Amino acid sequence: MGMFDFLKKKPNENVDVIAAPVAGEAVASSEINDPTFGEEMLGKGLAIKPSDTKVYAPFDGTVAMVFDTKHAVSLVSEKGAEVLIHIGLDTVSLKGEHFTTHVENGVIVKKGDLLLEFDKEAIKEAGFDTIVPIVICNTDEYKDVKRITGMEVKPGDTIMELEK
Amino acid sequence: MKSFTYVVKDELGIHARPAGLLVKEAKQFNSAINLECGGKKASAKALMAVMGMAVKKENEVTVTAEGDDEDAAIKAIEAFFKANL
Repeated sequence: MGMFDFLKKKPNENVDVIAAPVAGEAVASSEINDPTFGEEMLGKGLAIKPSDTKVYAPFDGTVAMVFDTKHAVSLVSEKGAEVLIHIGLDTVSLKGEHFTTHVENGVIVKKGDLLLEFDKEAIKEAGFDTIVPIVICNTDEYKDVKRITGMEVKPGDTIMELEK
Repeated sequence: MKSFTYVVKDELGIHARPAGLLVKEAKQFNSAINLECGGKKASAKALMAVMGMAVKKENEVTVTAEGDDEDAAIKAIEAFFKANL
């Protein structure tokens, strides 16, 4: 038995899995038409071009904050991943219109719990891009952020794996 | 320790974008940089915590910096608030 065998015993201990919060096409951040998310200024991540209007919890964890403008929600996983799910670009200026939230700050959620819904068509009609950036806010704490893009995903499908 | 207070003028307060820019700015310094607003406190280097403060227009924010580069840090952060918020 080698001295590093203990590292192999529980390979998943250091890996945090992020599931798709919404159905759609998973794409690289570089496809987001916005410098904040496109250049990953808030952290590494990806985006989903949504084909549905319901947003679900990407893991078991806690809702850190539902923005009072309802266009974004941040969550912390049980293992400590800090994730921001941002519905659309510049949608902060809609001030909550076309969004319905189903959770509150501090609520404990299970993967797949409904977080919020958005009226995709109305947001589009109002002139906004409805792409959904998903950002790991504490990227610095991980040595690797694996991303799965270039395919259609359903809520619950793995889109990112974070390795400590 | 250095500090300043600032009343937010931006219509949308400190939402995701300005929070990200602020954290990026703060991380350039060694000093501990903290924000305080309405009884809530957060490190200016922790994005989720900064967003979690949900600072709004007209809110007064107190920023403190403590460390070997606190002078440069407080100057840069104050300039950031004036330019962006």
